Amino acid sequence: MNKLIIDGAEYQAQDDQTILDVCRQNGIEIPTLCYHPAMEPYGACRLCTVEVIRHGWSNLHTACTHPAWDGLEVKTQSPAVYDVRRTLMGLFLSRCPHVPVIQNLARQYGVTEPPFATDDPDQKCILCGLCVRVCNDLVKANVINFSDRGIDRQVGPPFLEKTRDCIGCGACTIVCPTGAIDIVLEEAGVYAEKPLGPTAAIYVPSLQAVPRVPVIDTDSCIRFRQQDRSNGKIADACGVCQTLCEANAIDFDQQDEILDLTVGSVIVATGFEMWDPKKLSQYSYGRSPHIITGMEFERLSNAGGPTGGQILLSDGSKPKRVAIIHCVGSRDHNAHAYCSRICCMYSLKHAHLVRDKTGAEVYEFYMDMRAFGKGYEEFYERVQEEGVTMVRGRGAVVDVLPNGKLRVKGEDADLGKLLAVDVDMVVLSTAIEAPHDADKISALFGLGRTADGWFAEAHPKLRPVETNTDGVFLAGCAQGPKDVPDTVAHAGAASAAVLGLLDRGEVVIAPTVAEVNRDDCVGCGDCLLVCPYTAITRVEGKAQINAALCKGCGTCVATCPSGAIMALHFTDDQIVAQIDGVLAWA
Amino acid sequence: MIDEIRKIVAERLNETDDKGARLDGMVALRRTGPAVAPHVFVAGDDLSTLEINPRYPLMTVVSRLHKRLPDIRLGVVARGCDERAYVEMAKRNQIDPERLVILGFACTAEEALECYCAEPFPKNLVVGTPAAPGPQNPIVAKYDTMTLAERRAFWKQQFVKCIKCYGCRNICPECFCEACAMEDKAWVEPGFLAPPFPAFHLIRAMHMASRCIACRQCEHTCPAHIPLTVLYDLMRRDMEALLGYVPGADLAALPPLSVTLEQTPLLLGDAHDPATIPLAPIGR
Amino acid sequence: MGVEFEPKIVAFMCNWCTYAGADNAGVARMESPSNVLPIRVMCSGRISPEMVMRAFRAGADGVLVMGCHIGDCHYSTGNHRSVKRMPLLRNLLATVGVNPERLELTWVSAAEAPRFVQVTHSFTDKIRSLGPLSQEVAE
Repeated sequence: MNKLIIDGAEYQAQDDQTILDVCRQNGIEIPTLCYHPAMEPYGACRLCTVEVIRHGWSNLHTACTHPAWDGLEVKTQSPAVYDVRRTLMGLFLSRCPHVPVIQNLARQYGVTEPPFATDDPDQKCILCGLCVRVCNDLVKANVINFSDRGIDRQVGPPFLEKTRDCIGCGACTIVCPTGAIDIVLEEAGVYAEKPLGPTAAIYVPSLQAVPRVPVIDTDSCIRFRQQDRSNGKIADACGVCQTLCEANAIDFDQQDEILDLTVGSVIVATGFEMWDPKKLSQYSYGRSPHIITGMEFERLSNAGGPTGGQILLSDGSKPKRVAIIHCVGSRDHNAHAYCSRICCMYSLKHAHLVRDKTGAEVYEFYMDMRAFGKGYEEFYERVQEEGVTMVRGRGAVVDVLPNGKLRVKGEDADLGKLLAVDVDMVVLSTAIEAPHDADKISALFGLGRTADGWFAEAHPKLRPVETNTDGVFLAGCAQGPKDVPDTVAHAGAASAAVLGLLDRGEVVIAPTVAEVNRDDCVGCGDCLLVCPYTAITRVEGKAQINAALCKGCGTCVATCPSGAIMALHFTDDQIVAQIDGVLAWA
Repeated sequence: MIDEIRKIVAERLNETDDKGARLDGMVALRRTGPAVAPHVFVAGDDLSTLEINPRYPLMTVVSRLHKRLPDIRLGVVARGCDERAYVEMAKRNQIDPERLVILGFACTAEEALECYCAEPFPKNLVVGTPAAPGPQNPIVAKYDTMTLAERRAFWKQQFVKCIKCYGCRNICPECFCEACAMEDKAWVEPGFLAPPFPAFHLIRAMHMASRCIACRQCEHTCPAHIPLTVLYDLMRRDMEALLGYVPGADLAALPPLSVTLEQTPLLLGDAHDPATIPLAPIGR
Repeated sequence: MGVEFEPKIVAFMCNWCTYAGADNAGVARMESPSNVLPIRVMCSGRISPEMVMRAFRAGADGVLVMGCHIGDCHYSTGNHRSVKRMPLLRNLLATVGVNPERLELTWVSAAEAPRFVQVTHSFTDKIRSLGPLSQEVAE
């Protein structure tokens, strides 16, 4: 452990630390331009110069490259240091007079005007070489470097020409302290397909993710892209996240895994999908960028969205009139007959957001306002008081006018009149529906589905989270449309049902299972073919049923030619008695 | 023909296979005085008493021997129908294919005619040349044109003759159940002859759906001369049309009524809407 | 003549789909014909040809066999067996001169209460028009 004195106070340092490391660690401010924690220090910009006193000798050194030796005394604010930095900033400002970072730093050292003549007022590059080092040392793409010498020195790809070796990772633009590098996208659509808004190659998938740990998008991650591109020859590109992660949690070798788990129960919480409003052409969805779904509105209104949370039209202007149409695809026999339950409340929220953020007039076309939850009616009243125009009646048609405006037509049932409103933006509050591949889940777990496509609960009132398959439970919209509080309650009930099973440690099975009379069994094996649960095996040439596996369907009973299998509680004799009974009575 | 069969049986009984094993016996018919009965010939037996007539379902004998003597290896002198019976029995674990050698011979053209046999020879044909298939049963051939009333009239006069002797079941090589649905009082009322609803015959017909290999033994046996094979031929025809299954044709084919639609799909109509599954033609 | 013929119809229903559908029809106060006499089994695959014949023998003029739609079977494939058995049995009935329309296999899910009502009504009407089975068999 090294001890050193910085600006009169004593600090401790590790052998491999530099003076800059120790200062940063202890909150002592030292300006830098060419320093990046993920790369070896280089000392190009000299701005981190400090006064280092060793054995009584004083010297000016760059803090980023000087080891934090034992017994050093360091001055970061001495007049000599200040003079050096002032001189440096004068030089930088003369080279790059219009770069804000340089201007601000220069001002801190009392330099407000370039002290020397400026060659190129648009110059942004200070030739610190950080981009060169990133490209060569980290990304290992070796695409940019210095060329020429002296006053002609510059940074760029070979011969300053476009190169196919650039992988477009953008690392150089990110590290460049002065914003001197731009990436020009030549292929339209490359980034357009990416999610809107700031996204890195490593991110937390959603704010509600459990466990809340970041994932690496291998399609975007420089390390993986370089590996793919070089057929694995460049296996150690970038790794910045690994270098910087103090918890050492980054593991590039992790692979996607398919887990094979043996479990006692399953909660099916496969949720919903948004219904596609293109299916009803009268809403003109897709014919104007200003006809958007509620989900798209959420994205637009999100602070992390493409407009930073502002509600804007595609030309960047604020809408002046917005229509919100309820029940698009819900309560409609041409789409879904059911009520999607969540739309009324999110539509009201959207109306509130539009009023709040843009002050635009809002026309809300609704059939009935289903503000059924706690505090919902109060919110409805509040939105009304905010000046939203409520039109009771389904928004019937959206026309795109030649001038790009949108005309919403519908009936105002309260007035008994047809209505047409010209607006700048239409938000369609679309239905939610069962996922398109719900049939696969239903086949996998033997789940029933109601006519509207949602998974069927065992009983609509008394067993709302159970299914007809033992041990399989439903949570949330998998069972039917639900808002967040209802989903949380439903999921809680499902979890409690599972915990009940776990706690008991044993399961109770129905007594309606099949049983073999081995004397009558001839061992033909038809029942083994029939049983969907492999509950029947042949033991000593005759069928034997595992009662724990048997679900009691009785198909083997009807198949057995020998009548050797009995369905307990549904025996042939019992059924015959019923047949005779109902016919005698009738 | 019979001499050639006797000669080959003698050879087979004395042969050893590559592992040095011999057949323990050959199942065939033997004449003793005026009677002919199934018998297991062993090496050294007098084979001049070996007979091939009258037709008898020898696979029933093979099955019993296989079950009682778990190590016995047998040969059997078999007709085409015997071999088909073997296929459906082996499929249902009544005969062990590993312990049986089929020594097949072809039926004569006259026999094929008599049996309305579509395949009067076995696949393991050792003796004789295949005769041409016999014609279709003339009643079956015209059945599509018969009205429901005509059919009813026809079967009424047939079923009324039934004395419920169970001979059809007893002779059938495919009726190997330990307990019989036709003796279950839930399904067939005991003590009544020719009940108004012919459950006795219909239950047997349903049980034969994926089993009847058209050996005609039931009809030959029936003391009341009920043309039972008309019933079963029509069942075989419906089974082949609906599920493409021909009993006795393929040891690897699974019993179609016991497996899923994925394993054996319907060839007619759409299982999602049973109303689309067509009926066989009915005369008007 | 006098009293109009009212058919007796035995309806075998699977526990999970049709029986629940019938139940829902009742809950929704939909009317289905009283001619239909329900017998609940766990799966349509439980319904053997013997049971159908017993129903006819015991005086049913028509038999309905109802289960889950293909793919929705609670036991995944029990109804696969019904859809193979019942058409064969229909043909067999026709073979011995019983009108095969007296036996019908159809799928009614738990969610199809209206379909249950429609199926039972139309089947009852059909059997009413066919007349009693006894007439047909004892002719």
